[in-house]
Amino acid sequence: MMKKSLAILLSGTMLLSAAFMTGCGGGSSSEAPKSSAASEASTPASSAAPEASEAGSEAPASSAAPEASEAGSAAPAGDVNVPEAAKASYEKLLAAEESLMTTDNHPMMAEGLSFDVPAVDGDAAAMEELPETDKNHWHYKEYLDWDQSADAQFPESPADGQEGKKVILIVHGAHAWTTCYTEAFKAACDAVGMTYDIYDPNWDQANQDSYVDQAINERPDAIVVIPVSADHATQQFKKITDAGIPAFCSNTTPEADAMNFIISYTGPNDWYQMRTLAAMLGESMEGKGGVAYITHNVGGSPYYARCYGPMTELAEKYPDIETLDIQSPGFEASEVKQVVADWITKFGDKLNAIVLADDSDQAIGAVEACQAAERTDIKIVAAGISKQGLELVKSGDLFGMSYQTCQGDAGLAVRTVSEWFCGIDVARVNYLSTDIATKDNASSFEPCQW
Amino acid sequence: MSEVKKNENTTAPKVDTRKTEINKFTLLFNKLGIWIIVVLLIVVGLIVSGGQFFGKSNIQSILEAVALVGMVCAGLFYVTYSGNMTDMSVPITMAFGGVMAVQCINFGFVGAIVVGLLAGALIGVINGFMIGKMRANAIIWTLAVNLLISGVIRVVWQGKMLYAEDIAREDMQDSANLFYSISRTYIGGVISLMAIVMLVMFFISWIIHTKTGFGQKLKIIGTNYEVAKFSGINCTRQLMIAYVINGLCSATAGIFYAALRKCASYENGTGYDFDALTAILLGGVSLNGGKGSIAGTIGGVLAYGMLNNILSWVGLGTYSKYLVQGIVFLFIVWLNTYSNRKLGKA
Repeated sequence: MMKKSLAILLSGTMLLSAAFMTGCGGGSSSEAPKSSAASEASTPASSAAPEASEAGSEAPASSAAPEASEAGSAAPAGDVNVPEAAKASYEKLLAAEESLMTTDNHPMMAEGLSFDVPAVDGDAAAMEELPETDKNHWHYKEYLDWDQSADAQFPESPADGQEGKKVILIVHGAHAWTTCYTEAFKAACDAVGMTYDIYDPNWDQANQDSYVDQAINERPDAIVVIPVSADHATQQFKKITDAGIPAFCSNTTPEADAMNFIISYTGPNDWYQMRTLAAMLGESMEGKGGVAYITHNVGGSPYYARCYGPMTELAEKYPDIETLDIQSPGFEASEVKQVVADWITKFGDKLNAIVLADDSDQAIGAVEACQAAERTDIKIVAAGISKQGLELVKSGDLFGMSYQTCQGDAGLAVRTVSEWFCGIDVARVNYLSTDIATKDNASSFEPCQW
Repeated sequence: MSEVKKNENTTAPKVDTRKTEINKFTLLFNKLGIWIIVVLLIVVGLIVSGGQFFGKSNIQSILEAVALVGMVCAGLFYVTYSGNMTDMSVPITMAFGGVMAVQCINFGFVGAIVVGLLAGALIGVINGFMIGKMRANAIIWTLAVNLLISGVIRVVWQGKMLYAEDIAREDMQDSANLFYSISRTYIGGVISLMAIVMLVMFFISWIIHTKTGFGQKLKIIGTNYEVAKFSGINCTRQLMIAYVINGLCSATAGIFYAALRKCASYENGTGYDFDALTAILLGGVSLNGGKGSIAGTIGGVLAYGMLNNILSWVGLGTYSKYLVQGIVFLFIVWLNTYSNRKLGKA
């Protein structure tokens, strides 16, 4: 009896102390994003990147310039032909687009961008024969350049608006980013009048596959998936589309073939962002020096985009800049710190810049190593945008980082789904607007989203 | 010098008929263990680095890289030594220690650290009680605790990152800054505070292991639990102490981790259970319990860090590094097992 009481007492003490400690922090950080995500706010502080323009065009067109093109799907209310049955819903959507702001004061449901796909002479295998520093080597990874003639028979839009529709979101796994994304997704759905269920497979591919089956059995009006892995996405989206349910892909780029079964992809354009960042870095290095790369998890789309995006950009514009090394130590600050410290000892003055796939733990590790070795002259750029990263940008330890809005990512997915329910032609690929955060404009991205 | 034990009585159930072979090599390796590998790595390091291996920045790099895993090893050693293999709740103990410290930053810097350590000790008490007294399976129980506390943190803090400066009141911002600085402090501008704390923890751990009755009793428990029990040893108490030490060490590492990362989260510490166990096994500690030393564990931790450092000097890519690390670690574990086997110790 005493043993039982002791065990219960210990468990109870631990839970109570956890609850008590949460309360005693006063203004806990968990409160902030929730309220601000749904709050109205002033004019957005930043704009999209220079070459990109707001769009919603036909998907992959074969034109020369890889810049964003203008198009019509997200045009103002007056220009959009919305069926009578969807007009009230569409008005609600427009109101949500106007009012919903991200924590850092940007529109949460801003319209997407689309980019023209440059023409290449050959298939994926032929392109992979090219050197890794050639942009075209990565063409089929960079662009969702799928064969549209093989598109599946997509479900027809009911064209009666998004209000009252049920959407199931299947995320990839638990993470602070995912928490931020799902909260924004809920806020956006609430604002446009959709109901939702959210499933979290905790980074497990098999779990996600079974959640896809479960979601299909529930017969929702639409399913949005953030794929755990790009190469499983085709099968997942095929199942959904074959079941007659509209499928949308968010955040993580799927394999190009998966696009045959996806009504629309919404998310960041990692390649473009990192190229913009690399161009800024190359200019600051005056076209010479050595660069080393710390990658994302090997094999995922951010691995290629955040390593070979900047590398090919530098190789094209600044051929005198040398690639010193590529390492994938993961996302732990101490591991990254060791890799960078080893680079500093090994390469010495030849190491002038570091490109990171992550602006939180990787950036902290890299900055700490440079400071410990008194090599603050090394320029570090990263993909972001996290609170730790922004603090490093403000202090000048990070030279720059890409702005990749998490709440805007969720908002764009909800916007695109809603537009489809309203009977509007949505672009097959909708990229998030982007920007570069530097010391000069860091305040435009505060307070951070996650 | 070999001997074959013959099993003449067929009814005798357990007679070891394997060969033993006591020679200079097996004796030397069994005595010095992982330190022979450490010396070899130093020699290789000096060659591949062109003499820069003992440079200030390189030594800093190695020590800092192993500091956190070393802190965990200083405590996890006792769990493995006690015959309970490993503690699967190490990652969440690290995370919980960091989360509680950050959440309590308004108690002041010292208060926050104390609460963080107590959080780790509390998990140790629960683990020790359930494994020592209730004889719960150590792996299953600690895995369940890992899930339970992970769930508690996710529910209570909604899966979000905790930033000390956001939680700290205006008058406690200095405490938040001081908290972050502990992972960035260099004593004399040379050696990091994290590395010093790791070494101090190993020293204390060595004293506990070699100079106290607890260390002796734990050896007997690790070697044979039933014998220890019938010898009058209070096994529950000793195991609870072992798990509390482990909880304190993991929480210490978790606090430094949160300070280094500048945020606390339920995911802090992921992977440290296996990293620490690898280092401990490299140091010659037996998974079956009762065998091993703190000196060997330090050697295992250093070998773990030095190998990574050397492979960076060689310029290997990530895939090749994993391959070489795997081969070297397998070789070390084989060497340990082989020398023990030949001496009839395993």
